[in-house]
Amino acid sequence: MSEQKVWNKTQRDTQERMSHASQYFKPGTKVFEAKDAVAILEAVIRSGDRVNIEGNNQKQADFLSDCLCKLDPARVNKLHMVQSSVPLASHLQAFELGIAEKLDFAYAGPQGGAVAKAIASGKLKLGAIHTYLELFARYFMDLTPRVSLICAYEADKDGNLYTGFNTEDTPLITEATKFKGGIVIAQVNKIVDKVQRVDIPGEWVDGVVQSPKPFFIEPLFTRDPALITDTHILMAMMALKGIYAEYGIKRLNHGIGFNTSAIELILPTYGEELGLKGKICTNFALNPHPTLIPAIESGWVESIHCFGGELGMAEYAAARPDIFFIGPDGSMRSNRAYSQTAGHYAIDMFIGGTLQIDKYGNSSTATAGRVAGFGGAPNMGCDAHGRRHSTPAWMKCGNEFTDQQNFLGDVPRGKRLVVQMQETFQEKLVPSFVEKLDAWKLAEQAELDLPPVMVYSDDITHILTEEGIAYLHRCKGLDQRMAAIRAVAGYTSIGLQAKPEETRALREAGIFKTPEDLGVDRSRANRSLLAAKSIKELVDWSGGLYNPPARFRNW
Amino acid sequence: MSKWQTLQTRSFLESTARQRAQGLVDEGSFTELVGPTERFISPHLPELGEAVEFDDGVVTGIGLLGKHPAIVISQEGRFIGGAVGEVGGAKMVGALKLAQSIYEKLQAENPAEVQARRPIVLISFETGGVRLHEANAGLLAHAEVMDQIQNLRHKVPVVSVVGSKIGCFGGMGFVAAATDVIVMSEFSRIGLTGPEVIEQEMGRAEFDASDRALVFRTTGGKHKYIMGDCNYLVPDSIAAFRQQAIAIAALPMDAIENLRRIGSRSAIERQMQLVAMAAEVSPTDAKDMWKAIGNENPQQLIDANYTDFMAQAKRLTPAA
Repeated sequence: MSEQKVWNKTQRDTQERMSHASQYFKPGTKVFEAKDAVAILEAVIRSGDRVNIEGNNQKQADFLSDCLCKLDPARVNKLHMVQSSVPLASHLQAFELGIAEKLDFAYAGPQGGAVAKAIASGKLKLGAIHTYLELFARYFMDLTPRVSLICAYEADKDGNLYTGFNTEDTPLITEATKFKGGIVIAQVNKIVDKVQRVDIPGEWVDGVVQSPKPFFIEPLFTRDPALITDTHILMAMMALKGIYAEYGIKRLNHGIGFNTSAIELILPTYGEELGLKGKICTNFALNPHPTLIPAIESGWVESIHCFGGELGMAEYAAARPDIFFIGPDGSMRSNRAYSQTAGHYAIDMFIGGTLQIDKYGNSSTATAGRVAGFGGAPNMGCDAHGRRHSTPAWMKCGNEFTDQQNFLGDVPRGKRLVVQMQETFQEKLVPSFVEKLDAWKLAEQAELDLPPVMVYSDDITHILTEEGIAYLHRCKGLDQRMAAIRAVAGYTSIGLQAKPEETRALREAGIFKTPEDLGVDRSRANRSLLAAKSIKELVDWSGGLYNPPARFRNW
Repeated sequence: MSKWQTLQTRSFLESTARQRAQGLVDEGSFTELVGPTERFISPHLPELGEAVEFDDGVVTGIGLLGKHPAIVISQEGRFIGGAVGEVGGAKMVGALKLAQSIYEKLQAENPAEVQARRPIVLISFETGGVRLHEANAGLLAHAEVMDQIQNLRHKVPVVSVVGSKIGCFGGMGFVAAATDVIVMSEFSRIGLTGPEVIEQEMGRAEFDASDRALVFRTTGGKHKYIMGDCNYLVPDSIAAFRQQAIAIAALPMDAIENLRRIGSRSAIERQMQLVAMAAEVSPTDAKDMWKAIGNENPQQLIDANYTDFMAQAKRLTPAA
C-alpha cells in the first residue's frame, strides 16, 4: 500500500497560518485594526516566502509596506519580493533590515539609486528586471506570490474591495495569489457597509484593514503646459505632419514627457488646421493625461483605456463614459494588465522619450548608479511578433521596412511604428546621443547579465529631434541606419560625425527630413499653438471637472 | 490685425519683456532705449563663462499713454530668472532719471499742463532679485533704483505691473513695495524670500515650496489683493494691464499718494493694525486671514474665476 498523497499542502498551510491571525479579526468579519497589522503579517508571512507588496507606479500599499519593515528579521527573513514597482523607501528598507533578500520587479523610479546600492552592498539579490507584462506572466508561472499585500479604496466586512479608478494591478495580483492557495491582505482607505462596486470579490481576500492614512499615489502623468517650450512645439508639429498624418495613426500610446504633451495640446489647433480630426489619434491605451482634455473636448478621441488612474482626473473620466471605461456604478476602472496587452497587440504606434540613444539606435533610460527598471515601455516600444491583424498604418510601415525581405522573402508583413522623440540635448547640456549607453556601466556595477536596453534598435522605426525625423526602417542595413541617426543627432558628438553629402543623400531618399522638407513653418512653432497654456486652462477646458493636485496649481 | 493689436489680446503671463513693453503703451508709440542693438552686455558674466544677452534681460524705453509719456521698464524672466545685474540695473536707473527730467522740463516750461501731461513709469517685474553672479553691482543697482523712486515721489507715478511667470521676489520685492501703485494678475506673485529659500531655511513643515497652491495663496495676486498689498487685480491680458495704467495715469497726484501701502504715518498705522490683527488670528494659512477679513468660503474664492472673485472677495480696508 502506497502512502496517501497530499495534494493541498499550500491550502493546509494557509489555513494553519490564518488560524494564528483569526484572533485579530472582528468577530464574523475579515476586518482587523491597524494596530494589529504587524501581528497579522507576523502570523501569515514565513521566512523564504514570495511576497508581493502592491506597488504600481501610481498607487502604493504603503501602510502594509511600513508594517512589513516592523517584522522581526530574526523570525521572518529571506523573503523573495515579487512586485511590479519599488518606488517607496520602505520597499528598500525591508532589504536593509534583512527581512527581504531577493527582488524580481519591473520599475524602481525614485528608488533606482537605492536598488543599485543595495545590490552593491550584497543586501539585495536581484532576480531580474522585467516589463510589467513579463512579470505578470511570471506570477502565473514560476513567481507566484505566497502572500500579497494589496490596496483598495473601500472594503466591506466580508472583504469585498472597491479599487475603482486606480484598479491597476490589483485583480491580477489577487488572482495569481489566491487561486494558488496564497494569502491576500488588503489595506483600504475606508471600511464601508457596502462597497460602491465589487472589483475584487471578498472570497479572494483574507483580511482587510483601514490604513491610518489614504494610500500614497503619485501624479506621474500630469505635465504642466506652462513648461512646454517652443522646441517641444516644433517637434510636435513635425510629429503630426511627418508621422501621424503620413501613416494615419489612429491607435496609439503616448509616453509621459513634455514632447507628447505638446502633441496632445496642438491637436485642436495645428491638427485641426491640417484636417486630421477623425483620421488620427482616435483610440488610446493611455493613462488619463490631463493634457489630452482639450483634444477630448474637441471631439478627437473615441476611446481611452487606462493602465491606472491619475490624481484629479477621476471626476472628469467618470463624466465622459463614451470615452473612458466606466463601470455600472459610474466610476472608471483601470487595469494595467489589460491596457498593457492592448498596448502590446492593438496599437499601431508608440511614441515617447528616452535618456540615451547610442549610435546604432538602441535606447535606454538607465544611468550609472541607478537601476530604474523598464515599466511598460518595452512592450509598447516593440513590434508584437504575435500580431496577425492588419491596419493601414501597420501595413504602410511594414511595406517601407526595407530589410524585412531579407528574412521573409516575398511575404508581406506589417510593422509597429516605434518613435523616439528626443531633443539632442537635455537639461544641463547632457547629450541624448552617445557612443555607448551608460546601461553597459550599470550592467557591470549591478552584475546584470545584459545592459538594460529599453527599446532595441531593430524595433525603432523613427527618431525625431529638433533637427528633423530619421525614418530608420526605410534604411538598408546598419551602416545607413547609423548615418540617419547621425543626421538627426545635431551637435552631439555623434551628430558632429555626420557627413553633409551623406545627409543630403538621405534627404533625397526620404530617410531624413528636416522641418522644411516636411513643410513645417518654424516661425509658427511657439506657445500660441497650445490649446491650453496652463493647468488652469485645462481645468477650464474640463468645465471644472479636472481637479489638479495642489502642487500643480498656480492660483 | 496689426502686431500691436495682436499683443493686446495676448496673455500677459505668456508674453516676453519686449512684447509687454510694446503692448502696455499706445499703438506704435514705443521706442526702445539702450536696446539690444547697442550690445550693452554684462561685464561680469563672460568672466564666469556664462552666456550674455544684448539687452542684459531688461527692456527700457518710452511710449505714450494718451498725452502722458510712459517710461517702461520690463524684465525678462527667461534670462537668468530676470535677476538684476549691473547693466540691467543701470538701465532701470537711467529710465527713472529720464522720467524725472521729463517731469522737471514740463514743470519749468508748462506748469499748467503738468496734470494732463505728466509722465508715468511702468515697471513690469519678472525677477528673483539680485543676480548672484554680480551681487555687489546688483545690490547697488537695487539701492539706486529705490533712491530714484523716492526722487519721483509726489511728481511722477511709479507703477508696478506684476503679471509674469516668475513674479517679483528678492530685493525687487522691496522695490515693488516702494512704488506708488501695484497692479497684479492672479497668476503672478510678489514676495521677498522665495518659497524654495523659505523651505530650505525653515524646513518643509514651515513652508512646502512644492505645494504650488500654498505658494500661490500666500504670495499670489488674489492674496495680495485681499490683503491690500496690491491696489488692483486685473485679468491676464496685456490690454487689461494697459487699461489699468491709463486709469492710473489720469489720477491726480494726491490720489496716487493715497494708493501707497507704505511710507506715511497713516500707512504705518494701517500696518500696525494688521500686525495686531494677525497676532489675534494667529493664522496658519492665508485662508485663515481671508476668513478673518470676512470671506466665508476662502477655497471657493481660490477656485473662482476673475469676475466671480472680484464680485465676491472682501478686502482688508483697501489703501484707497
